[in-house]
Order: sequence, then C-alpha cells, then structure tokens
Amino acid sequence: MKTCIKGGRVIDPANRRDAIGDVWMEGGRIIAPPASGEADETFDASGLVVMAGGIDIHSHIASANTNTARLLLPEQHRAHARRPAATPLSNAGWSTFETGCLYAQMGFTTVIEPAVSPHQALHAHLELADIPIIDKGILTILGNDDFILGAIRDGESPAVIRDHVAWTLQSARALGIKAINAGGVAAFKENMRSFSFDDVVPSYGVTSRQIVKALQAAVHERGVPHPLHLHCNNLGLPGNVETALATIAAAEDLPLHLAHLQFYGYGNEGPQGFSSAAPRLAEALKTAPNVTIDVGQVMFGQTVTVSSDVLRQFMARGQAHPKKYAIIDGDSNGGGIVPYEYKAGSFFNAVQFAVGLELFLLIEDPQRVYFTTDHPNGAPFTAYPDLFALLMDKDLRAEWISRLPPAALPVTTLPSLTREYSLYEIATMTRVAPARLLGLPDRGRLEPGARADVAIYRPGKDLAQMFRAAARVYKDGDLVVHDGAVTHYRFGRALNVAPEVDAKMERRMARYYDERYGLKSDFMRVPEGALGRAEPFEGVACRG
Amino acid sequence: MARRRFSNVDSGAWIEGEPAPLEHVVSVAASLLSGSRQPLLTGMGTDIEGARAAMTLAEQIGGVIDHMHSTAVLRDLDSMRETGVMLTTPVEAHVRADTVLLVGDQLLESWPELAARILGSPLRRRIIWLAPASNAKLSGYEVETTRLVVGSGAKRAAALASLRARAKGCPVANLFLPLAQIDAVAETLRAARFGVAIWSAAALDALEIETINGLVRDLNEMTRFSTLPLPPPDNGAGVLAACGWMTGFPMRTGFGAGMPVHDPWRFDTERLVAEGETDCVMWISALGASWPAWGEAPAIALCDAAAAFAREPKARITVGRPGVDHDAVLHNPDTGSLVATPASAPSEAPSVAQVLALIAARLAGQRAAA
Repeated sequence: MKTCIKGGRVIDPANRRDAIGDVWMEGGRIIAPPASGEADETFDASGLVVMAGGIDIHSHIASANTNTARLLLPEQHRAHARRPAATPLSNAGWSTFETGCLYAQMGFTTVIEPAVSPHQALHAHLELADIPIIDKGILTILGNDDFILGAIRDGESPAVIRDHVAWTLQSARALGIKAINAGGVAAFKENMRSFSFDDVVPSYGVTSRQIVKALQAAVHERGVPHPLHLHCNNLGLPGNVETALATIAAAEDLPLHLAHLQFYGYGNEGPQGFSSAAPRLAEALKTAPNVTIDVGQVMFGQTVTVSSDVLRQFMARGQAHPKKYAIIDGDSNGGGIVPYEYKAGSFFNAVQFAVGLELFLLIEDPQRVYFTTDHPNGAPFTAYPDLFALLMDKDLRAEWISRLPPAALPVTTLPSLTREYSLYEIATMTRVAPARLLGLPDRGRLEPGARADVAIYRPGKDLAQMFRAAARVYKDGDLVVHDGAVTHYRFGRALNVAPEVDAKMERRMARYYDERYGLKSDFMRVPEGALGRAEPFEGVACRG
Repeated sequence: MARRRFSNVDSGAWIEGEPAPLEHVVSVAASLLSGSRQPLLTGMGTDIEGARAAMTLAEQIGGVIDHMHSTAVLRDLDSMRETGVMLTTPVEAHVRADTVLLVGDQLLESWPELAARILGSPLRRRIIWLAPASNAKLSGYEVETTRLVVGSGAKRAAALASLRARAKGCPVANLFLPLAQIDAVAETLRAARFGVAIWSAAALDALEIETINGLVRDLNEMTRFSTLPLPPPDNGAGVLAACGWMTGFPMRTGFGAGMPVHDPWRFDTERLVAEGETDCVMWISALGASWPAWGEAPAIALCDAAAAFAREPKARITVGRPGVDHDAVLHNPDTGSLVATPASAPSEAPSVAQVLALIAARLAGQRAAA
C-alpha cells in the first residue's frame, strides 16, 4: 500500500531539504514518488511540518535501576486517568507501556537506554520488550568491572580489551559501551569518597584516565559505530569543569561521546563558589571535533536521579527529596536512586538550568550537541517540548530567566545569548545527528529506502504544544499516533551490534566466571525466546 | 466434599475434580472471571512470562494482583520506600564481604546456597549471627561465627536497636545482652572494610528491618557496609520486578478503577478472602505444590499436579514447572538478577502464560459475542 503525505513542510536535514513537498511510503519504507503519482492513501499535510521520527540517544527508560526508582517512589507516579481500552497499561504511571506511548506522542520512534550493567541485560531487555511502538537499544557498562580493571593492571594487550568489549556487547545485546565514573565506583567500594580523572583505584593501581582511554580505543578499533559513551568523574561538583576539560583533552583524536555535559559545566567562582563554566566547554569543543556531547538539561520540578555512578549518588544522598534513597553496590557499577526537586528559586538549580542552555546555544554545530535531559536525572523526557521551545524562542527564555534568583544571573552568560534554534536545527539535533552517532543509516531521514518513521507536527504559537502532541506519527509506515493520541500498539525492536567474538575470549570468560564468581558465564545472556515478542532484535552493522 | 484422587495425576485439567478437556476448563475459567465482580489473581508463583500474562489479564478484567509472599516482599520494600536502603548483590557479597551480619531465622531456608556462596568461601570473613534459630548450624563450614542469642520478638528488636546505637556511639539502657558483647560486635561492624547484613524478611518484622537499614546507613558514614535481603521463594523478586515495570507498582495492585491502584492493605489476599471482597480467586502456583494458606478453595487454580486443596477448585489446570517443563526467566538468588533458565526436562505441559493467554482469548471471544 502506497501512502502519500502530501503538501507538508518537509524538514529533512539529512538531504538538506526544507520545502513544501510530499513524502511517500510503502512497506515500512520511504519510497520515491511513483511514476503513476497514485496513492492508496493520502494524508493532506498542508500547513503541517513533516520530519523523520525523533531519536533519543540517552534516556533511562528500562533497567533494574529504573525499576528500583519506580518501586522507591510509588507516590510520584499515580495513574491519572482511566485507560483507553485499545492500549493496555498505557495509563499506568511510569510503566514501560506509558513510556512508549509518551515518546510516540512526541514523534519519537527510537530511544536508547544508556546504562545497563552486563549482568542485568536480560532485565533491561524484558522491560524494553514491554515498551510499545518505539525501537530501542541499550548501552552496556564497562569500566568499574574487575575484568577490565584487572586486564589494565596486568598490562594485557589492547587486543584483550577489544575482545572483551566484543564479548560484552554480544552477551548483553547492546548497541554500544558506556563508562560511568570509570574506576570511581570500584574505588567507592574500597571507601574512597571522591575520585578524579587521575586518581588511582586502590586494589588495581589504575587511573580513570587509563580505563577511559583503553575503552575508547577498544570501542573504536572494534568498529562499533557509537563511540565510547562517557559519564565523567566528579559529576555535579563545583569546579568540575576541569575534569571535563581534562577528559576532552585526553580523547586526543579518537571519537568520544560525553554524556550530560551540563553536569560538568561548573566553575567555583562567584559569591556561592558555584558558577557556569559552559563557555569554556564550548570553546574546548571547537578544537575537539572528535567529541560529541549531550546536554542533560535541568528543568524545574520534582524528579528522581537514577545513575550507576554509585559514588556520586551516595554523596548526594543528603539532598534527597523526599528523604529516601537506594544505593546499590552492584557487581560492577550498581546504581544509586536519589529523588530530587529542582527549584527555580534555588541559586544552584538556576545555574544548572543556565549551564545547559548555554551549552545548547554556544555550541554552534547542532550535529555535535544532543538534546537530552538525561531522563529522569535533569528532568523527565516529557520536558523535551518545553526545552525545544526554549531553544527556539529567546523571549520565552527571557521570561524563564526573569523568574530565576537574580544572584544566579551574573555567574552565567545565558541572559546575553540571543541565538534561536530553527526548526531545521531542531530536526538536525533530534533526527539525523543521533542516527549518525549511533550508526543507524536508515533512520533520522526521509529519503527513499529510509525507514518510514515519520512525525508530523502542527506548528503554532505554542512551540511546546507542537512537539508535545504530534498530529500524526508513522512507525514503519504504520499510523500509530493520531492527533496526539496513540491509536494502537505495535512492538519495536532492540537495536544491537554483534561484533565477532574470539573463541579464546569465550573460553577465557567461562574460566573467569567460574574461578572468580563460581558462576557460569552465560547467566546474563539474553536469548531471543526469553523476551516474549516476535523478532525482538535488529542487528546494526559494525565498521568492517 | 474433598476430591483428592486426581491430585497425583501429572497433567490435565479438571472441573470440580472431574477430568475435562482443556478447552472446556479454560472456558469455565473465563466464565468465572467474566462473571466475577472482583476477581483476584494470587499465588503468582510463576515465571516472568506468566507474570506478564497475569498482569495483562488482570487489567482486562479489573482484577487484583497479589503474590503468596507479598507480606515479606512488602516488609523489605516498605523500609526502602519509607527511609531508603543500601543494597548489594549476592555476587558482590561473594567476592567482597569481609564481614557478614546475619540476622534471625530462615536464612538457609530462604537461600540454601548462602552457606556455599557466602559463608564457605575461601575468603576470610567475620561472621556474626544475631538471633540465630536455636537449632541452626552452619554445618560443614568451619568459619568463625559470633552468635548473639537473644530469642525473637521484642528482645531481638531491642538487641538490634542497641547494636545500632552502640555502632553510632550512643548510650543504651535496658539491654537484653551484656554491653560488652554488643560493643564487641559493634566494633567488628565498624572495622569492616565491606560488610554485608543478610536477613530474610519472612523472619523479621518491619521495625527490625528498618533498624538494620538504619544501622547500615550509619556505618557508611565511616566505612562501607551494605545489605542483602534474601529474595522470597516462588519467584517473588521476579514477579515484583515485572509488576514494577508493567504497572509502576509492586504486587497488591488492583485494576478495578480502570487504572492500577496500589494498596497493600486493601489488596491483601487474605483480607480480601476473609472479608468476602473477592468472589473469584485464581490461584497460580507453578513453582511448587503450595496452596492457599487461608484454606478456602480457589475458584480457579493453575498449579502443580501435586497441589492438594481443601476442596477441589471449580476449574483446575496443571501447568508446567518454569525452568523444568519449559524455558523460563526467573529471579536467581545466586546472581540477584533475572536469568533465562532453559527447561531441564521439557514437556508438553502448558505454561502459566499459555493458559492465561487461552483464557484471555476466550474472554475476548465472549466480549465479541456479547
């Protein structure tokens, strides 16, 4: 069946297209306009904006830690409405089902859960399997685990790290590798209470710098499209811009992705010893074209921080609101769940809010800065529409800024920034750029052959409303959202890379798990049949 | 009238104790559920697929979801959601714990591998057992164990409170144990490099659990200490996880309002049955031959062939054992995670998920016909 989305403003930065035109789909793919010009179904999109489906590279939507957060905070996600009968559990607050619906309604069709311990991969994939509509994937965590730390300590060859990365990716069915406070979480188990880039993990004698560089090189050399996804040391601390700058410098020329950089954009100047250092980061990134970042924007309101940076979360436990938390010393990274309320009237939160927006506005290339809120750490992903509106409208920003504590303004440059994102730049940042960064060549674009993931928005004065409730969303050519509401479920797939695994590494890991843990090395495997959905996976190619 | 003569048959389906074709029993079960004003799906001794199917069905019929070990599950969970917790995994405890604080009874019963994986490891660990079961032995494990024998109930709670106080350096009075003994243990805990407290919520009350969690929080002001509450049997931790991601809530969640509502008191199986607030109980227990503690016969049972009820259920279907008759995902107490468990002796016996899918399809058919 040929479908024609007719006469919309098609914004497709992958093809430098921003013009009134048609988009044709058939069999789940975008097609060239047929010679006959005849469609089986036509949707008149005149006056509407047509984009590829949005892609979120970093959102904590499905993991054992996320689930602990749900169970920790029953008071924060009461259901608010009786369900529409067609879409089971879609009104269950913070359920996997609601997550899929909310993303789809905003026009997002691919979302990556960025922090899954290899031992908890099956749990994460089971949650993903219950997220309807969108495609998804996980990044799996290395860098605080005994194997990698031991291999670096023992001076093993880079080939061993590479093979272990491949083994872990395949075991966890992951799309990439993440390191979270590399070495710092292992050091916390030995009672270190702070950990910087050149600090040494006691039992291993290795530094965060060594771990990061080893993983960064291994991921790159193994041909994994997504570069090492790094959560740096010293998250959230005044003066931590130095850590981020040292990390950027250490990346040298290899690709590196820095997650939620806002949380590292802090100087220690001003009357409170806390200031924005976003301009320094933006400046450093100009000369480091190999480094991409996502922002981790803070938006005001109650949320919960969910992180595998156990050290940081433990140190932040005193700020829990409400006053409760779960700190989990896991097999490698574990997790920390600390509820938190960002207040517009708080000097510190206002500076954080400003740092995020400064990064967006000061980094000129929308292909290198991603729009995350580090859901739910800076704000829930449902705040994206408001965030996009803030980026696109300097008057709206001025209005928000006017509500911030005046003392916060002199320690940031935000009030002086007048840049406004265009729809084209928003489409770049949310569509084609993340597809490239994740190595997904048929997503984030609307040319023939691309996946028919299409979001159609109704533009209006209220930019946030435009992005909050898409007029229509097609997933693989199937109309799943109509006037901002999900019409029915379909289940997407988990994207994963499967680099070839050396048989020697297989044997070595079997021996390692037996000797160190007394366990079989396949306990964390994710068999397709365990997930209860047809074809739950989709392979993503590594570079040859 | 008790009809137990079929309780040893290893497969099949029954209506009030009489063998019947599976389709017929499914159809009777569907009618019982659709005719019910407040159905209850409980027991819930099932794998993740079974839990997912039960939750989906419960939403469709406005039912309540509970688990046979919810009381213990919620004791641990309540402590977390009231005040917060430090947790670790059995894997990390295995490789790292230099000090282990065991509290109360039902430890080896809850996790038989506790002895081999934590107590009997080659690592030198200091073991303290507060309020051990009177006859409990860590047989075969030549470990140095300090025992604080205080009995149970208020004395055990008071001993835990004094231990927390002394570990923090606070004065205490009205001791049930000599101060020197408590202080020695407190000192051992403070000297731990990475300690782990282990208990079974089935054996402790909520206040005791909160006291242990508080003790561990205090200890982390100076050293590293964590906890390993033992998971309940019958995949209680796995069902909890699936409830969490599917509804946002733990078990004891009802869908009667057209949306999930969690209420540990209102949706407690025993209370619902005792107060007559449910008119149709579906008992699900595929992981053992357990049956409802309240003695009343459930209307519908998806259970092990060996389960014996006071009276035969109206509809009874023997289901396969997860991880034995069919592949399954179960919470594994050795790893503290969900683990894919291949069938050890594959059989044709239907899984809980399959039977629930048949019932759901039947209900959909009934609705379509109406």
